[in-house]
Amino acid sequence: MSTDIQIAIVGSAGDGTIAAGDILRRAMAEMGYRVISFDVYPPEIRGFGKCIARLRVTDEQAYSLKPQSDVLVSLDDSHAIPHVNEAREWGAVIYEGGSVGPLAEGAHISAHIDPGQIPYNAPIRELSEKSTGSARSRNVVVLGYIAGLFRLSVDPFLRALNSKFKGKADVAKKNEAALRAGFEEGARWFRLDDIAFGPPPAKNGGATVEMISGNAAVVRGALDAGIDNFFGYPITPATSIMERLASEMPKHGTRLVQTEDEISAIGATIGAGFTGARAATATSGPGLALMAEMLGLGVIAEIPSVVYVSQRGGPSTGMPTKTEQSDLNMAVHGGHGDAPRIVIAPTNVEGCYRCGGKAFEMAEAYQTPVIVLLDLYLSNRYETVPFPAQPPFEADTNRYADTRGGKAAGFKRYALTEGHVSPRSIPGQAGGMHVATGLEHNELGRPNDQSAMHTAMSRKRHEKLKAALKHPDFTAYKRFGDEGPVEVGVIAWGSTFGEALEAMILAREEGIRCAALKVVMISPFPTEAVAAFMADSGATLVPELNYQGQFAGILQAHVARPVTRLARVTGEPMEVGEILAEIRRLAGRTPARQAA
Amino acid sequence: MGDIRPVYLEEKLKEVEDSGRLGYRSKALPTWCPGCGYFAIVDAVAAALCEQCVPYEDAVVVSGIGCSSRFPFFMNTYGMHTLHGRALPVATGVKTANPALTVVAVGGDGDGFAIGGGHVPHAARRNLNITYLLFDNGIYGLTKGQTSPTSATGFRTTTSPYDNTDRPINPLMLLLSYGASWVGQSYAGKPEHLRRMVAAALAHRGFSYLHIISPCVTFDKTHRTYVNLGTKIRDLPADHDPTDKLGALREAMNDATPAIGLYYREERPTLDDALDTIVERAGGTAARERVTQKQAGRKTRG
Repeated sequence: MSTDIQIAIVGSAGDGTIAAGDILRRAMAEMGYRVISFDVYPPEIRGFGKCIARLRVTDEQAYSLKPQSDVLVSLDDSHAIPHVNEAREWGAVIYEGGSVGPLAEGAHISAHIDPGQIPYNAPIRELSEKSTGSARSRNVVVLGYIAGLFRLSVDPFLRALNSKFKGKADVAKKNEAALRAGFEEGARWFRLDDIAFGPPPAKNGGATVEMISGNAAVVRGALDAGIDNFFGYPITPATSIMERLASEMPKHGTRLVQTEDEISAIGATIGAGFTGARAATATSGPGLALMAEMLGLGVIAEIPSVVYVSQRGGPSTGMPTKTEQSDLNMAVHGGHGDAPRIVIAPTNVEGCYRCGGKAFEMAEAYQTPVIVLLDLYLSNRYETVPFPAQPPFEADTNRYADTRGGKAAGFKRYALTEGHVSPRSIPGQAGGMHVATGLEHNELGRPNDQSAMHTAMSRKRHEKLKAALKHPDFTAYKRFGDEGPVEVGVIAWGSTFGEALEAMILAREEGIRCAALKVVMISPFPTEAVAAFMADSGATLVPELNYQGQFAGILQAHVARPVTRLARVTGEPMEVGEILAEIRRLAGRTPARQAA
Repeated sequence: MGDIRPVYLEEKLKEVEDSGRLGYRSKALPTWCPGCGYFAIVDAVAAALCEQCVPYEDAVVVSGIGCSSRFPFFMNTYGMHTLHGRALPVATGVKTANPALTVVAVGGDGDGFAIGGGHVPHAARRNLNITYLLFDNGIYGLTKGQTSPTSATGFRTTTSPYDNTDRPINPLMLLLSYGASWVGQSYAGKPEHLRRMVAAALAHRGFSYLHIISPCVTFDKTHRTYVNLGTKIRDLPADHDPTDKLGALREAMNDATPAIGLYYREERPTLDDALDTIVERAGGTAARERVTQKQAGRKTRG
């Protein structure tokens, strides 16, 4: 990669930290770079909590953020000081150096910068006041400073600013002044050889590359797959899925209703699914817990539905603005009875798009609820994604019954067939009348609790899902890294796969034979593929963001081999360095040098 | 339950066959107790659908869980027998996804006002264009007799062996307050009145709520018997104006001698209308046409 630069901006709520990060990533994406970006902010709407905007700018799409940033910007020293060591050796630290008032010893960031880091003492406040008459544009000054320091064109920044604050002429004027003031100041300094932006990668034909968040990608997938109905109840961090659909769906002539709770949301989704519509809901862990009983109805009545779940820290209200992967057990096993369903977990933003749309195909094809499992880190993460010119989704994957001439004995909605999926009829279809029930039933859908019937129907509901592992044009799992036997195999799911892959790549650079297995479909579980991967691996490492190692637990229920669990509940994404250290340990390597 | 067909059910089936409404009734025989008021309701719904010429395949009956919620199995229409208390959310999905369908939600007093009580206000205020038939027998029958939100204070049941100390709610006042656009009451012991009320509820454009008082002949031998109800139930005064909401509330307050008839009726945009307006504002009307055609195309499949 000729360009691989990570920038972190640290500030206090109200400093415009997140806004600055947003403009920066928009400008970078417009220039043609690939971007991956994830912000950290406090749960309160107002206050003085810590905000961090981080983005990594590359030529080819990166899978995760790097353990260390190349550039650290402080908009608030009290918050930024603990993050100084996040800037790498020979990394740049840009901070407010103008007129610092009387401060307690150690309160100014300059006292904390490592001799190996390059300090940029910038008169941020002064430039803001001079150019706009107030200190409120410090965040924009910093953006200009970055553009100047790294010799980037100021125009993409201007366009990004104007599109973010569109329609406000006076604001635009002040922003431009602040941006240019920062630019001129930054451009005065020597260009760093060690942190340089190469020419942006050439555009590849066909696909249009867009910078988009995980939740926005899910929405796009749903729209491209032809979602007909959405029912939801607001909950962090899934709300933005509903918000976007609320503005987009009416343009497509389709309908969204904000329901009174999550039980109603999933109930209505299943009701719509019964009519043949493509329907979905979106929630987080607390909402999924409320939906558990209704998902069981979807399973036994074999009605398609799609549930987007973005996990956050739990249990109970937990940590609504922190990330975690601790709802996996509930997604896979939640609810009463034997209630098998499909659970897919995308590993990056592009995956959010694909899973977001493919979920409808699967729900129809296998007549079941499909849970698309994200987490806050993935929902709120921005990446540049190449979108194909034609949506890669089938418009209708239902298997309809021929009910013409209606059988006198009634329509066998739950016929026991070889492939275990019964042809279905939908309201409006003459001769296909039946009752979808949560009671165990016979082939006609009539209540029946005979032993043989319950056994046959349970088998049907379980066996029919197996075909989903080979669902057309869908990657249920994929191996990366070294072929054949390896010292360490890393198996990861969901948002953590990015960090796992990055760590695997770094381990290979250190000479460790290493591979990574991405598991997207967790239910039904790809037992054969996982077993084969583990047979190749000297040791198997499973990093994930929950205390128990929930994925490792599910894995071991299917493949009876030992795994090393790397389970963390920090509320933050897994650190690449931590996975790498564990790979080294399992490979019997002593680290070349201790991390600073 | 195999082939055991009690004589009274055979008689019932013959009665239905003779009525010429068998088309709307499934061959499944109701699982209710002999003498249950619900037989009258299933007859009334079949008759009302027949009168309105709703094709079998265009009707969807959605229920929750309970004695009354077995209802969809006895109809030859599409049906959904869902979860305890959740008929209205599911019905919301059915109607929103395909507004061309005639959707009837049915359920009992426990289903609608205990576990499912949180859904009723929202279906009503949105003016969801469906009919909600609430079968009120003041008891949990399917679990063999426990108190419900409409059970009388002092009612002794298996879970209230020292008397029910709670007081009953007043469903009609609730529904009037929630903003239901059609509120009526009928009695399972008056089949002809019931049939007319069900037909009127189905004909209403918007959320129509019909409260149907019924005895539980098996588990309530003291409070709601046909004899007791027969003496208490009266007609709404002839001069009651169904557009007068305060008058309707006043009548509804008198639950010692419940009155049957149409309490309240208003015309206002339904949820379907509101959603169409939103589509129009977003400039999606032409797209909506394509969605509707897609919907219509689905039904001709097969």
